[in-house]
Amino acid sequence: MSDIRLNAIFKTFGTTEVLRGIDLDIRAGEFLTLVGPSGCGKSTLLRIIAGLETQTSGDVEIAGTPVNHVRASDRDLAMVFQSYALYPHLTVRQNMATPLVLRDLTFWERAPIVGHALPGRRPKVKSLHAAVDDVAQVLKIEHLMDRKPGQLSGGQRQRVALGRAMVRKPVAFLMDEPLSNLDAALRVHMRSELAELHRSLGVTFIYVTHDQAEALTMSNRMAVMMDGDILQLGAPDEVYDDPKDRRVAEFVGSPKINMLPGRADGHGRVAALGAPLHRHVGLQDQDVTVGIRPEHLQLTTTQADNEGWPFRVTHKENMGADFFLHGTVNGSNHRMVARARPEDVAEVAIGHDVFLRAQSGKAMVFGGDDRRVYFAEGA
Amino acid sequence: MAQGSHRAAYGFIAPAVFLMIAILIAPVVIAAALSFTDYSLGNAGFDWVGLENYDRMVSRSTYTKMLSATALYVLTVVPISIALGLGAALLINSVKRFGDIYKTIYFLPVMAALLAMALVWEFALHPTLGMINNTLASGCGTWIEAFFGWHWLPWADDAPSWFENGCASGFPLWFGDKDYSLWTVAFIGIWQAFGFNMVLYLAGLTSVPRELYQAAAMDGATTAWDRFRLVTWPMLGPTTVFVVTITTIRSFQVFDTIEAITQGGPAKSTFVMMFAIYEKAIQHNLMGMGSAITVVFLGFVLILTFVQRHLVERRVHYS
Repeated sequence: MSDIRLNAIFKTFGTTEVLRGIDLDIRAGEFLTLVGPSGCGKSTLLRIIAGLETQTSGDVEIAGTPVNHVRASDRDLAMVFQSYALYPHLTVRQNMATPLVLRDLTFWERAPIVGHALPGRRPKVKSLHAAVDDVAQVLKIEHLMDRKPGQLSGGQRQRVALGRAMVRKPVAFLMDEPLSNLDAALRVHMRSELAELHRSLGVTFIYVTHDQAEALTMSNRMAVMMDGDILQLGAPDEVYDDPKDRRVAEFVGSPKINMLPGRADGHGRVAALGAPLHRHVGLQDQDVTVGIRPEHLQLTTTQADNEGWPFRVTHKENMGADFFLHGTVNGSNHRMVARARPEDVAEVAIGHDVFLRAQSGKAMVFGGDDRRVYFAEGA
Repeated sequence: MAQGSHRAAYGFIAPAVFLMIAILIAPVVIAAALSFTDYSLGNAGFDWVGLENYDRMVSRSTYTKMLSATALYVLTVVPISIALGLGAALLINSVKRFGDIYKTIYFLPVMAALLAMALVWEFALHPTLGMINNTLASGCGTWIEAFFGWHWLPWADDAPSWFENGCASGFPLWFGDKDYSLWTVAFIGIWQAFGFNMVLYLAGLTSVPRELYQAAAMDGATTAWDRFRLVTWPMLGPTTVFVVTITTIRSFQVFDTIEAITQGGPAKSTFVMMFAIYEKAIQHNLMGMGSAITVVFLGFVLILTFVQRHLVERRVHYS
C-alpha cells in the first residue's frame, strides 16, 4: 500500500493543452474519483498515472519513487477499461489468469508446447488458477468461467474485467468509466458493490467518471476537473455543500443548482433578481451570481417584504419521495428548479403562480471570476 | 385458386432458376460428364471411357508430376506470402511516416499484370543475359566468393559451396533446370501475392481495438511478441482465414507465369493444374482429360471452402 503523488503534470496534444499543472496526492487505500465533463482531461490523467500515456512535464510518484520512465506493465497498477477490453478469444478463466500468466511464468514456461514440459510450470499454474478461483468466488462469477466474453452480458463482462484487475493484488485500481456501458439499474447496483469491494480490499481506487452521482456516492474524496485543472478536491459532502467555484457548484448536484444574476451594492448587500438575501459580502458595486440548490428553496403562496421570487410553475416532476417544480421567475426567462415534499405541493398545479425564497444562509455567491465569495460574519 | 397461385409462383422463379442452372450449374455438370469420355472438340461423337481419365491421373507420371508440382507450389507460396504479408503489414502499421509509400510500393506487383511482369523476371533471370546471374558472376574471384564459400566458418568443410560451384560451372538456368524451375516460379508467385496479403492484413489491423493493447500492457505484456500472441494474432484470426483461403485458391490457379516462361517444363517440373488443363483441353484438344483435371481442381477448391467455413470460421469468430 502506497501513496501516489502527482506533481505539476502538464499534457499537451499538439497545441491543445489538456492538463495544466495537476498536483494531486492520492492517499493509500482511498477511493478517489476524478470527475468532470467529457474533455476535461480526467481520462488522460488516469492514463498518465497508468503509464499508457506520457506527460509533457511533471512527475508521477508511486510510494515515493518517481515512475516517469517505468512502463505501464511495471508500475503494478491494474486498470478496468470503459470497453472492458477483455480478450475475446480467451475464456473468462483465461482472461482472468492472463495478468498472472504474463507476470509469474517465464517466457519459456509460456511457450505453447515446450512450456508444458518444464518442471517448474505445474505448481505455478496451479497456484495461479487457485488465485483466479478465489477472485471468481468473491465476484460470484464461478459459473461463467468457461464462457467467452462474447457470451456474457454487459454486467458480467464488467465483473470479469474487475476480476482480471483483482487477481494480481496491485498497488491501486484505475477505473476509466467502468459503469458507463451498463443500464441505469445495474449502474446504481454496481455503485454500491464497487464501494463495498473497495472497503473489503482496502486498496487505492482511482476512479474516472463524468457522472457526478457516481463520484458523490462512492468516493472518499473527489477531484472535480474542468479544462485541464482540478477545481476542487475534497470529500463529496464538502464539495457539494461548499463548492469553491461556480463551475463546481453547477457540475455537482442533480438537478442542477439554480444560478441567478445578482448584484452586491455599495454596502456589500447582495440581491438576486431583485430579492435581497440579507447577507453581506466583501464586494461592492459588482455583479455576482447567486446559486441556490433546489432543496434550499422554500415554497410560499404569499410574498413578504419583497423576499423571494415570484415563480410560475411550468412542470411538476414526481420523483416519488420528492417533487421537482420547474418554472420561470416571473418577468424574466430565468428557469428555476425547486425540490419540495409532496404534501407541500399537493395544491400546486402547472401554471400556478407561487413564491420561492432561499433558506436563510443557504445561498452561495460567486464573483465575476467564478470564485466563491463568502458571506461576512454576523450580518 | 390455390392451384393457380402455385403455378404463378413457379412462373416467377422460373427465369432465375433457369439462368442459374444454365450459367452456373450446367457447365460444371457438363465438365463432370465430359471427364468420363474421350471427347475432342469438333468430333461428331464420343465414347464413354469410365474412370480411365482419372486412373491416368494417378498412374501416369505426367499427371502425378502435375499434382506434386501444384501441391509444392501451393505449399510454398501460401505460407511464405502470408508470413511476409503479415510481417510487412505489422511493420508498416508501426511506422508513423512513409507508411503510404511502402504500401504503394509493396502493392505494385499486385496491380501489375502478372503476364507482363513474368517477362521482366524471365529476362532478369536469363542464364547468360539476365542481371541476376551477371551480378552473381561479377562476385566471382572477389571477397564475395570468399565470403559465400563459408570456409571461414569454424565448422566448414572443404566441399565447394553453392556460390563456388556457380563460379566454377555457371550459375543456375533458373527456369531451365528442373531442380530450380518450380522454386523460381514460386518465388515470382510469392513476390506477386504478398503485397495483396499485406493490404488485407493492414485492413485487419485497423480493426484491432487499441484498448486491448493497453489492457495487455497493464496485464504485463512487455515484449512485442507477448502483444502479438495475446492480441494481434488472435484478433487477426478472421483476416487470416480469409487470406489463407484466397491465397490458396489463387495459388491453385497459377497460370500466367507458367504459360509465359516455362510452358510446364522442364521435365514437367512446373506442370501445374491450370496449365495442364489448358494444354490438354485447348492445345491437345483432349476435352475428356481436361475436364477430368478441371473436376479434380474444383474438388480441391470446394474442399478448401468447406474447411474454411466449417472448421476455421467457427474458431476464429468470437461471439
